[in-house]
Amino acid sequence: MLLGLALATPAYSTEGGLVLRAEGRQAVVAPLVSTDVSIRVAGPVARARVVQTFRNPESDWYEGIYVFPLPESGAVDRLRLRVGERIIEGEIKERGAARAAYGEARASGRRAALLDQERPNIFTTQVANIGPGEAVVVELEYQQVLRYDGGRFSLRFPMVVGPRYVPPGPILVADAARITPPVLRPGTENGRTNPLSIRVSLDAGVPLAAVESPYHPVRVDEPSPERREISLAEGAVPANRDFELAWAPRIHEAPQAAWFTEEKDGRHYGVLMVLPPAATPGTRLAREVVFVLDTSGSMAGASIRQAREALLLALERLQPEDRFEVIEFNSTAQALFGESREASRGNVRRAVRWVASLEARGGTEMAAALRMAFTNTETSTRVRQVIFLTDGAVGNEEALFRLLRERLGDSRLFTVGIGSAPNSHFMTQAARLGRGTFTYIGRIEEVGARMGELFAKLESPVLKGLELRWPPGVQVEAWPAKLPDLYAGEPVVVAAALGGLEGEALLTGERDGRRWEARIALERNATAQGMGGLWAREKVSALMASLRDGAPEAEVRARVIEVATAHRLVTKYTSFVAVDKTPARPIDESLKTAAVPTLLPEGWVYDKVFGELPQGSTGSRFALALGLAALLLAGGLFRNRI
Amino acid sequence: MRTAAALLMLAVGVWQLSDGLWIQAKARLAQVLIAQAWSRTLKGEAQAKPWPWADTWPVARLSVPRLGVERYVLAGSQGATLAFGPGHVSSTPLPGAAGNSMIGGHRDTHLAFLGQLDPGDEIRVELADRRRLSYRVGETHVLHRSEMWIAHQDGPARLTLVTCWPLDAWRAGGDQRFAVVAFRSRELL
Repeated sequence: MLLGLALATPAYSTEGGLVLRAEGRQAVVAPLVSTDVSIRVAGPVARARVVQTFRNPESDWYEGIYVFPLPESGAVDRLRLRVGERIIEGEIKERGAARAAYGEARASGRRAALLDQERPNIFTTQVANIGPGEAVVVELEYQQVLRYDGGRFSLRFPMVVGPRYVPPGPILVADAARITPPVLRPGTENGRTNPLSIRVSLDAGVPLAAVESPYHPVRVDEPSPERREISLAEGAVPANRDFELAWAPRIHEAPQAAWFTEEKDGRHYGVLMVLPPAATPGTRLAREVVFVLDTSGSMAGASIRQAREALLLALERLQPEDRFEVIEFNSTAQALFGESREASRGNVRRAVRWVASLEARGGTEMAAALRMAFTNTETSTRVRQVIFLTDGAVGNEEALFRLLRERLGDSRLFTVGIGSAPNSHFMTQAARLGRGTFTYIGRIEEVGARMGELFAKLESPVLKGLELRWPPGVQVEAWPAKLPDLYAGEPVVVAAALGGLEGEALLTGERDGRRWEARIALERNATAQGMGGLWAREKVSALMASLRDGAPEAEVRARVIEVATAHRLVTKYTSFVAVDKTPARPIDESLKTAAVPTLLPEGWVYDKVFGELPQGSTGSRFALALGLAALLLAGGLFRNRI
Repeated sequence: MRTAAALLMLAVGVWQLSDGLWIQAKARLAQVLIAQAWSRTLKGEAQAKPWPWADTWPVARLSVPRLGVERYVLAGSQGATLAFGPGHVSSTPLPGAAGNSMIGGHRDTHLAFLGQLDPGDEIRVELADRRRLSYRVGETHVLHRSEMWIAHQDGPARLTLVTCWPLDAWRAGGDQRFAVVAFRSRELL
């Protein structure tokens, strides 16, 4: 038995958070994975290649299973399997068919790779028949529209799926086992850090002001004012926290509208990005603000400090005419007041004291907190805003989205993603359903700046009733079908498939009672690749969201498979599979399967996430012994005196 | 000078002694109040609180016939609960359900008897629905507090009783735990 090597597979929860599955104490035997990422950025679009090398250090044949994250808005459209010099191109197939093809290859000893999507931001690669001492390489590619907010572009590359809380009880999350890879206890990695390198080739199209990487030291080369070459200063880093790169065009150089097109099979695909002019501050409206703070075990350590700091800033920002409430949740949810109270100095002070005393431990029963935050008992003219600080480390996202959809009412939800590896799918989707926005805080030093941006959004008038009218006579299918309201600093982003490129589109909206409009000439001014895939990705995401509105799954599934097959996209219902022709493993040798363990996200506390056994002792014995000894001593001193 | 030292020692002695005695007394007194809550539970009251401001309630009665031990198990295993009785780790199944029911308690009060259990000893459990089950002590483990694998749910229906290790340590806390696993043998009629 090898001591000191703990391998945890979170499976269900206890009061301490998640519990490990049965493995017990054993050594880790699994292929080693290293990842090399190269990303090319052109304007607002990024195309990335992710190369995963599976190395088998054992003397047996192995199948490796690696659960890893990708950006939630990425359209994964390519998979290749590389064995030595040979390259096998992957095919997109319906998930079950892909699995069957992979299983057959696996059984017959041929090398094969399978890529499944578990969540929009969680994927699994399986690689079969890696020979003893051998390495097999899997390459995948994706494309995404980058986030543009407050004059900054940002690119986020997640490196690790943080352990997810899955509520106990009847099976609510059927695929819990597929989103909870084994997690190594810090200190027992033994070289298993899943090293990852990143290179970004950035072409902004306009002169750049600043480029920054807040979480990893980087080397930046500047071949021209518009371009930068970025790589990690340390070469490869342990895969334990999100990488972020943010840049801003020089002031006055920022484009107000961008229109990229691609022609494919007689159809034009375009991505449109329009930035409305900055809002002029309006009259301040009295608000009702409900703060919800995640105090579950996964928040312990750096995350809870960041969240507490952010919440304290927000509390200080309240004005006497506002009303507010604070809710914290872990295994259960608790409200500070029980109903919204006026933001008097006394009440705010009470909230500040309460928040400062909160500690992180236990499960993540988010549904209880959402129910409490969206009771909506008060009907008033106040703007009702719910500010939700969490790492989103849950596996029951769909159930929570449904709950949100049912209960939102006139409230707005603003998610603040905390820590080194927040669940970006949860943050963005919840904010979209909640008709609010999302913000990320990954370091305590960022709290002030990021919360400042959020306050600006909360307090500035919203651009509402956005509509995009296409020129008459042109066949258009555009996503999202209904444009969301925009907060300060946010652009309109639309992906469209068009029959022809002519005329101009008209974008209209209304802010603070004033009408705003923009005209976009639909010409072929900037051609780009992969626009079709981005459009298809938006369409798939709209179809998947329609399930929450009660669309029949069989129908949604068929439509997703149709669009995903045409554009070679990995979705919940379609997977990539690549199979080598010639058998590699002699049929008399057996194949072992192993899940590649992942790291605990940086700043997390293992025992708070996975729980620990109850403490079974009191101080009574020590107190009794000490008390008796002191009494004896006192007695001795008194007697000597006489 | 010496008088001052003697008085100080006297004060420390009284303070510590009363502290230690208070912990022990609270542990015993609470069980008496919980016994009354349990009889209300058996009459059908749900989550019967042993005292009005309690945030816990009894979920089972545990007894070891050979040792003459009887304990009321409370809901939850936070430190505040364990002062009054052994606590059921709330996300593991309740005794009587399938799987592994974990109960934590203090080695110097309610679960001190764990050290006297022998393999094969019977542990009886009475449930809120009046069912009575019999368990037999199977295995014991000394673990690090992080070794949650002991809480895994696969396998036969069982109780896992957890306390601090070593059983005779003077100070509270520590990193080691002692677990007794008892397997369900039959239902008593």
